[in-house]
Amino acid sequence: MSDAKPRTWTVIGLTAPAYLWLAVTVLLPLSAMLFFSFLTVAPFGLETPALTFTNYLDFIHQDFLHTLTERSLMLGVWVTLCCLLLGFPAALALAKHVKGRWREALFLLVVLPFWSNALVRVFSWTMVLREGGMVDRLIHDVVPGAPHLDLLFTYWAVVIGVVHSYLPYVILTCYISLQAIDDSLLDAARSLGAPGYKVFLRIILPLSVPGIAAGTILVFVPVIGSFMEPRILGGPRSFMLGNVIEDQFTVVFNWPLGAALSFILLGIVLVVLAACYPFLRKNLQGMA
Amino acid sequence: MSVVEIDKVVKRYDSVTALAGVTLTFADGEFFGLLGPSGSGKTTLLRAIAGFIKPDKGQIRLDGRDIGRTPVHRREIGMVFQNYALFPHLNVFDNIAFGLSVRGIRKAEQVSRVGEILSLVRLAGMERRTPRQLSGGQQQRVALARALVTRPKLLLLDEPLGALDKRLRQQMQIELKQIQREVGITTVFVTHDQEEALTLSDRIAIFNEGQIVQSGRPSEVYERPKTAFAANFLGDANFFEGRVAARGRVATEWGYLATNDDLPPQGQPVMLAVRPEKITIGPAAPVGASLGNRLTGHLAQAVYSGMSTTYRVTVGAREVIVFEQNRGDHVFGPGETVSLAWLPTHSVVVTP
Amino acid sequence: MNRVWSLSLRIYLGLVLGFLYVPIVVMILMAFNQSPLYELPIVWSTVWFENLPLNERLIDASINSVALATANTVVATVLGTMAAFAFARYEFRSKPLLRLLLFPPITIPWLITGTSMLVFFFWVGIGRGLHSLLLGHVALSLPYVIVVVGARLKSFGPVYEEAAATLGASPWQSFSRVTLPLMAPGVVAAALFAFAISFDQFVISYFLAPPGQTTLPVEIYSAIRKGFTPEVNAISTIIIVVSMGLMLLFARFYKFGGER
Repeated sequence: MSDAKPRTWTVIGLTAPAYLWLAVTVLLPLSAMLFFSFLTVAPFGLETPALTFTNYLDFIHQDFLHTLTERSLMLGVWVTLCCLLLGFPAALALAKHVKGRWREALFLLVVLPFWSNALVRVFSWTMVLREGGMVDRLIHDVVPGAPHLDLLFTYWAVVIGVVHSYLPYVILTCYISLQAIDDSLLDAARSLGAPGYKVFLRIILPLSVPGIAAGTILVFVPVIGSFMEPRILGGPRSFMLGNVIEDQFTVVFNWPLGAALSFILLGIVLVVLAACYPFLRKNLQGMA
Repeated sequence: MSVVEIDKVVKRYDSVTALAGVTLTFADGEFFGLLGPSGSGKTTLLRAIAGFIKPDKGQIRLDGRDIGRTPVHRREIGMVFQNYALFPHLNVFDNIAFGLSVRGIRKAEQVSRVGEILSLVRLAGMERRTPRQLSGGQQQRVALARALVTRPKLLLLDEPLGALDKRLRQQMQIELKQIQREVGITTVFVTHDQEEALTLSDRIAIFNEGQIVQSGRPSEVYERPKTAFAANFLGDANFFEGRVAARGRVATEWGYLATNDDLPPQGQPVMLAVRPEKITIGPAAPVGASLGNRLTGHLAQAVYSGMSTTYRVTVGAREVIVFEQNRGDHVFGPGETVSLAWLPTHSVVVTP
Repeated sequence: MNRVWSLSLRIYLGLVLGFLYVPIVVMILMAFNQSPLYELPIVWSTVWFENLPLNERLIDASINSVALATANTVVATVLGTMAAFAFARYEFRSKPLLRLLLFPPITIPWLITGTSMLVFFFWVGIGRGLHSLLLGHVALSLPYVIVVVGARLKSFGPVYEEAAATLGASPWQSFSRVTLPLMAPGVVAAALFAFAISFDQFVISYFLAPPGQTTLPVEIYSAIRKGFTPEVNAISTIIIVVSMGLMLLFARFYKFGGER
């Protein structure tokens, strides 16, 4: 309780540099790209561009793009589901069944790979999954006559690689939520006669919804924009929307189309965020 | 050392009035207690004196000078915070010397002054310890030493003993009072604990909803509360409502009650407050006629607490609380018919 | 029943951990494998590490990465700490809005952020290059720095600064002698975080780095797409060890899981 009525200049002085930086590097570029998405050609060459909806209409008309978008979304869905199914029990184990120094140490171990280079990890998966790679060899060591397993350049390779990349996110957010559940709540429920599974369904699960929602967003949003993993692990058969966008900027140089597709992707992201917002509202204060 | 005048200070936060025009003077060398429930404005006033809050209206003067525009670090005050706020990254010496070092005082003098103040608070030799290594009582003394070493004009204490356990608190109350007397510094402290307020203060002020309900010496305020709130907040009280009858008596549903205070005109409603310890409890036979007020009732509950017993006596439709020191007299049991009596001087007229 | 459940959950956790470390372990093993085609069984050798200094492209890219990460750390930590301090110690009406504005860089897919930066920088003449990379990396790091330092500041409240003021310390003295030392672990943690973010950053670098001025991740990507040299394994191992080492340090300075 005090008059934290600042000299306004102090506050401006402290926050302006950071936010100006963000404005120039995030806000303005996004606006520029929005503008670009309505142009016929990029305004760098000899042609003078005109305003048009063609880029967006292309998306609506081209089935090929629909397929890709669907594929990207489905990847998002599959990966998110796998991450949740695999990650939540791990988070539960860590939050409620491991005590003391082990907990800190294991938590660190879980989060650590997440901070190693994503590219390098994905690349490593190629060695594991390809024909002659680790998995193949392992199977042959155990069952000599089995057919060769070449998981590389399949959809599932992409899923495995992406799930591996984003699993720690989900474990992290679920862990934070689960760990905040007071043990005495669970004891109280049990003393009132609730069997184990009911304690889980009616207390643990509802209270971990914010963590689950946060994890969902942290996984789904980046995944639908993936291009690196599909290209490295999936090959040409697993082309995603992200790859199309990537190509517009690096190969085809049709920047307006790339911009339009980016914004369509962004639109999808915003829809997802809006849908999850009610689950997150309570927790958002603590996060930032 | 210093006189502090609070002159009609007002502070509002949106729709909440934290201070509604408070006027008060702290005399030189006085140990003044601000008492009241949470949200009553006492902490707001303390922080306004410190400079963390700027009043919307009114003045705060230190030795006659308006300090409203003086920033906190120039006000020459010393303050002890509720959880002591000892700098965790500094040891005891550096904590206490902090105020000296920011003023550029030379190291040699720092050492001597810190040593001096540590002896005063009876913590000599603890210079090298860190706050984490100190007990609650020791931290409190370091916080006090830190506030005093700069020789401020005014000492402010925010719930100074709140974090200590009962025994330690009682001990610290005595020590705090001694130190304050020795140093002679004008001291203002905030508390919600009425016992603490009574023990430490030379004078107290009771706050409620941003205003001072009553101020004065502890014995005055305790014995002669002016309002029901004051009577109830500082100690316990039994309240009797009635109408003024003839010859200084009050007609109540339990009979006539006598008081020595000034009464409103005959026929007006009036409320009397009687402290539980002023009431004598005896067997159902009438007690000596010298006691002017007498009621008969049934004992509902007796709570024995070693030194004393608290009785709850049903008189008519209400309960009267009686507090009796344990002199080994007869202890009454539930259901017994008892007689209650007290002197007219102990019926205090209060505003509801 | 409870014990069985607890035990199986813990075993499961172990399996998940194993899964998480598979690529890392494989990477390290392969880096020490003599065979250039990843043939098993593993023949122990450090030849690829020895060959590294000879691969000029990789070395240049490494230097770029480290320099960029260092610059990013300095800029992002300073700007972010200032902003975090304003958030933690002052009240102002635009606070909720500003807090919200921290989210776009983290929630928008990096693909979009990267391509939009490319578009905008080209348009206004900044173009591609290490300077654009710096612009991009700092933008990504800022939200994380602000959150980390902010959390540290929140953990000790303004009471120490108030105490310093009552003792006669001017706002600057209070900041430099009290706030700064107390805030230091958070700032160090944020700096380590910023370094790791920049060092590992791939997507933004991919779009903003011109040929000849690439960072390590981008260089590795092209190598992979070409069907690369095994030195990439060696350098990848080094990168992984560095990143994880940084994160271990980070954890020491900023205890996770709210155990402070």
